[in-house]
Amino acid sequence: MQHQRILGSVAAAAVVLFLGACGASPTAGGPAANGANNSSTKAQQVYDRINGLTSDERTKTLLDLAKKEGTLSIYTSNTDLDKVIDGFEKAYPIDVQVYRGNSESVLQRVIQEQQANYDGNDLVETNAGELNIMNDQKMLYPYEGALRDAVRKEGQADGWTATRFNVFVIGWNTTKVKPGEEPKSFEELADPKWKGRISLEVGDVDWFAAMYKYYLDQGKTDAEVRDLFKRVAANAKIAKGHTAQGELLSAGQFALTASSYSHTIDKAADQGAPVSWHPASGTPIQPIVIRPNGVALMKTAVHPAAAMLFVDYELSEGQKILHESFRVGSIPTANDPLAGLTSISVPEKEMLDDPKKWDALYEEVVQSGQEVK
Amino acid sequence: MTAASPAVPARKGAALGWLRRLGTPKIIIILVVAGVIGYLALVPLYYLIWGTFFDANGFTLGGFARAYGDPRVGGMIGNSLWFAVGAAVLSLCVGTALAYLNVRTDVPFKGLFFAASIIPLIIPGILYTIAWIFLASPDIGLLNKVIEPIFGPGFLDVFTVWGMVWVEGLHLSPIVFLLMVAAFRSMDPSLEESALMSGASRWQVFRRITVPLTRPAIVAAVLVMVVRSLESFEVPALLGLQNGIYVFTSRIYFVLRSYPPDLAAAGALAVGLLVLAVIGVAISNLVGRSGKTYQTVTGKGFRPRPMELGKWRPVMGGAIVLYFFLTVVGPLLVLLYTSLLKFYQAPSTEAFASMSLDNYRELFHISDATTALRNSLVLGLGSATLVMVLMAVGAWIVVRSRIPGRQLVDHFSFVPLVIPGLVLGLALSFVYLRSPVPIYGTIFILLIAYCTRYMPYGMRYAVTSMHQISAELEESAQVSGASWWQTFRRVLLPLLSPGLLAGWIYILVVSFRELSSSILLYSPGNEVLSILIFEQYENGQFTVLAALGVVMVLTLAVLVIIAYKLGAKVGLRQD
Repeated sequence: MQHQRILGSVAAAAVVLFLGACGASPTAGGPAANGANNSSTKAQQVYDRINGLTSDERTKTLLDLAKKEGTLSIYTSNTDLDKVIDGFEKAYPIDVQVYRGNSESVLQRVIQEQQANYDGNDLVETNAGELNIMNDQKMLYPYEGALRDAVRKEGQADGWTATRFNVFVIGWNTTKVKPGEEPKSFEELADPKWKGRISLEVGDVDWFAAMYKYYLDQGKTDAEVRDLFKRVAANAKIAKGHTAQGELLSAGQFALTASSYSHTIDKAADQGAPVSWHPASGTPIQPIVIRPNGVALMKTAVHPAAAMLFVDYELSEGQKILHESFRVGSIPTANDPLAGLTSISVPEKEMLDDPKKWDALYEEVVQSGQEVK
Repeated sequence: MTAASPAVPARKGAALGWLRRLGTPKIIIILVVAGVIGYLALVPLYYLIWGTFFDANGFTLGGFARAYGDPRVGGMIGNSLWFAVGAAVLSLCVGTALAYLNVRTDVPFKGLFFAASIIPLIIPGILYTIAWIFLASPDIGLLNKVIEPIFGPGFLDVFTVWGMVWVEGLHLSPIVFLLMVAAFRSMDPSLEESALMSGASRWQVFRRITVPLTRPAIVAAVLVMVVRSLESFEVPALLGLQNGIYVFTSRIYFVLRSYPPDLAAAGALAVGLLVLAVIGVAISNLVGRSGKTYQTVTGKGFRPRPMELGKWRPVMGGAIVLYFFLTVVGPLLVLLYTSLLKFYQAPSTEAFASMSLDNYRELFHISDATTALRNSLVLGLGSATLVMVLMAVGAWIVVRSRIPGRQLVDHFSFVPLVIPGLVLGLALSFVYLRSPVPIYGTIFILLIAYCTRYMPYGMRYAVTSMHQISAELEESAQVSGASWWQTFRRVLLPLLSPGLLAGWIYILVVSFRELSSSILLYSPGNEVLSILIFEQYENGQFTVLAALGVVMVLTLAVLVIIAYKLGAKVGLRQD
C-alpha cells in the first residue's frame, strides 16, 4: 500500500517534471517565433548598415565592430570549412566556435534552437535544401555586397549566398574502364553491358531530380525518363554515402559511379587512386548537375559583424582555401573547372514545395530497378 | 493509512510516523532510482508517442499507414526477421562458447582472449562493415582471392542476408560474451561436477546443466540481440542495399531523411519494436522468476574452479586462434593495412612500397582530437558508472522487492532501446532548450543522452546477475542486524560485481561510438570521438578513419584489460 503510493507519486512527479519542461506540444511547433527579441533587431541594424557600405569603408567598419564582439559561432556541414576557419582566425582576432554535423542535423539544431528562442549561432554554412528551408521559415537575413554579385548566378539564392558548388559527375575506375571505353552519356549506362558494374547512391535525390527534369526538357515523356532510370538502376549496385561509394570505386568494387562528387574523385586521384571523371579524349560526360552550398546570416545573431566579416572572408581568401581541397568555388576563377561544360541545376523550388514526391520517386526507381534483376 | 482522526496531535503523529518511514535510506534510494529511470525513459517516449499519434490536426494513425502501408512491407519484415534472428543466433552461439571457454576452462592467454573477444564491439560499425567488404566481396574480396583456386571465383558473398547475418552477428557477439561471462562466473561448478561424477558426458552436462542454469542470461541476450539487429543501420545500409535487401532501418532511414522528418512514420516503426520488446521483457522475467531455479550463488560457499581441458586444450587453442584470425585479426589487419595507405588497394608490392604513417600523423593535426578523446573518456566512464549504479538498485527493485508496480521500472528501463537515436536527440534538445537549468550546450546533455541510451543494457546485465543470487544471503545479513543499505553495499554489490562489471565495460566501449544523438546534442568544446569519426568519414578520409579506428581499438583494449584485471580481484574469487 505504502510502496504503491510511493511509486505512484514518483511516476506522477516524473510526468509533472517533464510536462513542466515541455509546456507545448513537442512536434506541432510552427516556424520560429520570428525573433522579436533584442538581439534580432540589433543584428538587423548592423546587417543593414554594412550591406550599404563598400570596399575599404566596409572592411574597416566591419572589423571594428567584429573586434568588439570578439567571438563567432558557426554551424556547418562543410567538412572543408575547418581550413577556412583556421585562416580567418589567423587573419582576425576573433575566436570561432564551430558546430559540425551533417546537413540534416545542422537544420534540426537551428530549427530546435530558434523555436526555443535560443540564439546558438550567428552563421550557418550548409547545403542548399536546408538553407532554403531556413529561409522559408524567415530565420535568415540577406547578405549583400560586391562579393555576392560576383558569385555564379545559380548561387545568389534568396536569403543565402553560395560559397562552393557540389558537382555531380560520372566517375570511373581507370583499371576497370579502359581509355576509350568510357560512356559518352548517362543514357549509355542503361545498356546491359554495364550490368553489375555501375553504382547509384541511395540519397542522391537532388541529382536525380535535376537529371529527370533535364530529360523532360529534352522532350522525353515521363514514362520514358522513368524507364531510362529504371534500366540504369537495373544495372546498378546501390551504395550508401559518397565516401563509402568513392572508396569502393577506388578499390574496384564498381567500375563506375553515376553521381559522385567531383571533389571525392579529385581527392582520391590526388592520392594516386585509379579514378577519374575526365575521359582520355574529350570532355567529361555531360550534363553535369551542380548544386550550390552556401552561407547565411542568422537574423538573431549575437555577433552579426563577426558573421559578416566571415562571409566576406570566405568569399575572398576562403575561395582559394576551398579550391585547395578540390572544391569548386562559387566565384568563377581563371581556371574554372566548369568552363565550357553543360551544367544543370537542381529544381530547388519544386524540391522545397514537395520534397516527398522526389524522395518517393527516386526510391521507387531504385527499388524497381533492383527487382528487374 | 493516515487515519481520518479529528484529533490534531494524533494526525501530526501519524504524519510524522509516515514521514519517518519514508525517510529511511532504503525508501529514499528506491524513490530516487525509480524516479530517475522513469524520467529518463518518459522524456523520449512522450516525444515519440506524441509525434507518432498526433499531428497539427489531432489524433492520427497516418504514420502507421505510411510506415507499414508500403506493398513491399511483407518482404521487408521477412528480411528483417531473418537478419535479426540469424544475427542473434550466431552471436549467441559464438558469445556463449567464448565465454564458457574463458571462464570455465583452462584455455591459454585468458587476458588477451578477453580483450580480443570484445574487439569487434570496439571497431566502429562502418569500419567493421567496410573491412568485411574488402575481405569477402565477390568482386574484390581478399579471402575470395585466397580460396579461389579451390572454390572458384566469388565463393564468399558478403552482399547477401547470410553475409549481413555474419557481419552483424560477429559485431554484436561481445554483448552476449559479456553477459555470459558474468553468468558463468556466478555459477557453482559443483552442480556440473556432480553430473560428471554420475556418468554424464561433457556435452550432456553442458546441455542439461549449464545451459538451463544460465537461461536468464540467454533470454536476456536473445532479447537484446534481436532488437539491436532490427535497429542496426550500417550493415543493412552497406551490405543489404547493394542488392536490394531492405530491412526496417532502411525504411526508417527513408522516412527520416527528408524535411520535415516523418517522425510519425519513424515512430510507428519504433512502436512496433516497442511492442516486441515489451513482450520480450515480460517473457524474460517470467523465465527468470520461476523461483530458485537459477540461484546458484547461495549461502553454501563455492569457488568456481576452471575445468581442465586436458588433451582438448591444444585443439581448443587451435580453434580459438582460427576463430580470432577470421573474425578479429582479419578485419583488424585490413584496417591496419588501410591505415598505412594513401587509398585502399589490393595488396601488392606497389601498395607496400607506398606505406607510411601519414594518416596517423594527420590524426594528431585534427583540431579537437585531444578534447574529443578526453570528453569521450569522461562521458564513457561517467555514463557507465552512473548507469550501473542506478541499475543495480533498479534490478533489486525489479527482482527482489515486492513493491507493486515494480515491473514498470523494468519496462521503462527497456524503452530507450527501441527509440531511434535521432528521436532521442530531438526529444532531449526540445526539453532542455526550455529547461530553466542550463543543461543545453553543456556536456551534461550528452551524459543524460548516454545514460538514457545505455540504461536498457545496464538493466539486462544487472537483472541477469540478480536472478542468480539467492535471497537467503540478504536474509542472513539482515537477521544479523545489517540495515538494508549495509546489506546492499556489503553483500549484494560484491556478488553482483561480475555482471555490473560486464555491463560497465559494454557501456564504456559502445559509448565511444554513439553518434546519432550526440551529433545533435554536442556543442563546440564538447566534441566526442564519434563526431570526429563521422567528420573524417564525410570528408572522404577513409584511410585516416582507419587509423583512428586502430587507435581506438588499442586505447579501449588497454582499458578493458585493466578493468578485467581489477574486476578479477573483487567478488567471486577463482582458483
